[in-house]
This record gives sequence, C-alpha cells and structure tokens, in this order.
Amino acid sequence: MGDTVLTARKRGLGGEAKLAYALLFPAVLLMVIFMVYPIIYVFILSLFKTDKLARIKDFAGFSIYASLLSSKDTWVVIGRSLIWTFTAVAAKTLFGVIIALVLNVKYMGRKIARLLFIIPWASSIPISVMLWRWVLHNEFGLLNHTLKITGLMQNPPVWLGQSSTAFLSCLWVDVWIGIPFMALVFLAAMQAVPQTLYEAAEIDGASKAAQFRYVTLPGIAAILLIATLLSSLWTFNDFNTIYILTNGGPAGSTNILITYVYQNSFEWLKWQKASALSVFTFIILSTVSVIYSRVYFRREEM
Amino acid sequence: MAASKKTYAITAKTFALLLTLVLLVIMLFPFMVMLVSMFKSPEEIYHIPPYWFPKTPTIKNFFLVWNTIPLAMYFKNSLIIALGTVLLNTGISIPAGYAIARLHFPGKKIIMYAFLVTQMFSPVVVVISLFKIVIKIHFIDTYLSVIIANAVFTTPFVIWMLNGYFSGIPKGIEDAARIDGCTRVGALWRVILPIAAPGLVTTIIYTFIYGWNDFIFSLTFLQSGEKWPLTIGLYQFVGRFAVQWEQLLSAAFMAILPVLILFFIVEKQLVSGLAGGAVKE
Repeated sequence: MGDTVLTARKRGLGGEAKLAYALLFPAVLLMVIFMVYPIIYVFILSLFKTDKLARIKDFAGFSIYASLLSSKDTWVVIGRSLIWTFTAVAAKTLFGVIIALVLNVKYMGRKIARLLFIIPWASSIPISVMLWRWVLHNEFGLLNHTLKITGLMQNPPVWLGQSSTAFLSCLWVDVWIGIPFMALVFLAAMQAVPQTLYEAAEIDGASKAAQFRYVTLPGIAAILLIATLLSSLWTFNDFNTIYILTNGGPAGSTNILITYVYQNSFEWLKWQKASALSVFTFIILSTVSVIYSRVYFRREEM
Repeated sequence: MAASKKTYAITAKTFALLLTLVLLVIMLFPFMVMLVSMFKSPEEIYHIPPYWFPKTPTIKNFFLVWNTIPLAMYFKNSLIIALGTVLLNTGISIPAGYAIARLHFPGKKIIMYAFLVTQMFSPVVVVISLFKIVIKIHFIDTYLSVIIANAVFTTPFVIWMLNGYFSGIPKGIEDAARIDGCTRVGALWRVILPIAAPGLVTTIIYTFIYGWNDFIFSLTFLQSGEKWPLTIGLYQFVGRFAVQWEQLLSAAFMAILPVLILFFIVEKQLVSGLAGGAVKE
C-alpha cells in the first residue's frame, strides 16, 4: 500500500506541475489581460499622438518624453510627489510609534482606545475624505470654530482656499488615514519583543528612554522598515485624498504625479502625456519595489 | 524603591491615558463632527458662527436623505460591486493560492515575485489602458468592468494570504484524505478549505471592503448615475452647488457603518497579513 502511494507520487510529478498551471491559469490570465497588458499598453500609448478618444494616430517616438523632461511643470509635480511621500511617511511613522507606545502601557480602557484609533483606516476612505471637506469648511466647519474657541489659533486660514494650506490639508488627511496601520503594526511588533529583555535592561539600571533606544527600537526595526516601505508606496499612490479634497487645486498647486496623470487623461484628454507620466511613476515605483523585495527576501532567508 | 517605582507606574499610566485622549480627539475629529452634525436641522448646521452640539436634535436627516439622493440604489450598487468582487476574487484566488502553497512546479518563484510586484502599482496608472480595454470589449458602464478591476487589484494580496493559510495546514491531513480516495481537488474542497475557513473569511471580508470602498474604477467606468456606488453617489452629491450637508453626513454614517463592523472582525489578521507575516499575534 505504502509502495503504491510512493510510486504514484513519483509518476505524478509531471502531473503535479500540470495541475498547478491549471489551477493558476484563471488568476494569471486575468492578471495578464487587466494588469500586465495595460502596463505595456500605457508605454505604447506614450509613443503615439492620440485623438480625444485616446485612439492612436501618428507615431511620435520619444518626443513626449523630451518635452516633458524639459518642462518645468513636470519637475514641480515630481518634486511635490516626493516631498508629499517623504513628509507623509515620516509623520505617519512618528504618530504611529507614539500611539503604539501609548497603547503599550497597561492602563484601563486601552483595548477600547485601540479600537477607536483604527476607525480612520477602517471606515470608507473616500467618504472620510468627504467628511474632511465639511470639517475644513471655511464658514461652517467645526475645525476653525474649535481652533478659535480653544485659543489654538486666532485667525485660522481658509484651509482649501490657498496653495500652501490646501497642500497641508491634503497632506494631513493622507497622514491621518495612514496612522492607524502604522500604530497597529508597531504595537504588535512591540508586544512581540520578549519581556525578559526589558527585565534584564531594568536590572542593568537602564532608564525608560534607554530601554526604548536599545530594546524597543532594535526589536521593531525590521517591521519598521517593511511598514515604512509599504506606506511609501501607498502614500505615493494616494489618489483619493487629493482628488476628493481639492482635485489638485487651487490652480494645480496640490497635484502629485498620480492625480496629475488622472487630470491629464480623463479631464484634459491628453492621453499621450498622461501615459508618459504614468511611465514616470512606473520608474519611480519600480525603484522602490526593487528595494522592497530585496529587503523582504533577505529577511525571508534569515 | 518599591514605592517610587509604583508612583512612577501610576504617573506613566496617567500620562498615557491623557495622551491617548488628546490623540483620540485628533484622530476621531471628523467622525465627532459627523456624529453631532447629522442630528442638526439645516438652520442649525448652516449657522454662523457654528457650534458643536445640536440645540434641538433631530433624526429627520436619516429619512430625508433617501429622497434627496437615490441612496437605496447606491447601497444596492455598492453591494453588487463588493459581492461581485468577492466572488470573482475568491474563485480565482483559492486554486492559485493552493497551487503555490502545496504544489511543486517550475516558475513558482517568478509567479510569486510577479504577484508581489503588481502590488506596487496604483490603479490610476493602469486605468487609462483599462478604460480603452473596457470600451473595446463593450464593458463600459457595466458593474462587471468595476468588479474585474477590483478583483485584479485584490488578487495578489489574497493569494499571498491564502498561501500562508494553506501552508500552515499539516500535509498529513491532506495525505490521509487522499489515501481515503479523495482526489487532490476533492481534498482541497473537503479538507483544506474547511480548515482554512477562518483565514478565508479574512480574505473575503478584505475583498468586500475593497470593493465597497472603490472610487477610481467606478468614477472612470460608470458613466450613468444608475450604476454609481455609494462612494461616487456621495461624491457627486458633495460636488453640487448647494449641498445639504446635514443629510450627506447622515448618509455617510450609514455608508461607513457596515465596513467599520466588518473591518473590526478581521483587523488583526489583516495587519499581520499586510506586514508580510512579520507580525504574529
């Protein structure tokens, strides 16, 4: 009996691969048609002049890339995307670590607090951003009213009315959405750090600050890396916040690459330019993803 | 020494509690605004200067909004898109996840790597070509276009999660079933899936939430208002010249509630799944 199972398995090796391909086929097919092909197609589209319906007309070569690279607007948007990503991820990490630290203290009600902290991430993000539009409303919004009555700000700005504060508002809403994930991941990581390490540090007379620096931080370093890289991708790709809050305005001053791509394509029907800009995002994201997978697989091997 | 340590612990707890309260006010601010404002009448919500608590709370908005906008239709559309995404996604992800977790075949690493890489792309950068494909195959303005797009974008992560669940099931159980005469597919169906059910629920809820929250694909593909999900319906409402915000906020509350509850069920598994299994609880 054991023998027959063994030989069946040996003979079945080719069959096993066949079965595997059959099982993978639907998923791979769908991915190829609706993910891989569109990515290639965007590149092709960037090489042709198109009409308003995105139909391919004349071959244009790499001319659009040349004109984009020599245009100041492109660099402004790319620069803003990078500032956006870097600032937002830094803020998410900082807030995330603070909230995780606070939730790691054993006080009454911290389980409820933990649940409440998740809400911005758990609720429907497009709808949350719409809520912010009302909160930030100049006349009726409760944010400015609260800032005034608490004395935090005597003359709060019209947040979405001018470039600098509009960008800050978008940045804050994106940060606000991203904080809970960071906090939860860091909290889980902190709780996985063996308690004995803290006890040993305590015996050695280490202060709380020293314990954080020499026990907590090294303990969560690996996860900190993965979480910040993931967060960088999500932040760079965040379309909803800016589109819903300002739609890139006023006067394009809050556009990042992702919203700029959408505006160029579906609003201004400049398909070739939008495609080329998409290719820029591929290049930037691929660079990040190579770093990510390297880090990830190195960790796997460990 | 013991006494000072105790005082230290108490101060730390008080400090943590106070800090929690401050941070909670910041993090829940828009929801607090929603919770008080949805009980206000138009006169109260459009009062200058504004104030926090309604003077004569009313639940009228929760009834009025169904007539101001076709909210029931938006709910139905969101449900169709979310459930459709779950069906398609689960249908293709279970076999694929099983193959990667359990079978040996050439090219496995490449496929896994390719799945991982697709996670890096924003829907926005493929939506241009997707739009053209969707027009070409006459799927424009259909639920199916949005369902497929959402399923494609959730599939890599779901396969990744399922791979983890399936790998965690001892091989012996499956072998025993096969000795008892089950085929591989039969063993997957009757043995593996029931054991992996809790994990499966997580991926199903994740996919449902993803479909429910879809914005970009519905915005781009669904041109007639009859197919708009809640996200787009409410967005179009906000974009109107005169918005009845008190009604919108009550609609927002009703739209958020279902996903919020679902999210709390799977939150822990989701976090560990997203951190690539780096966090185990």
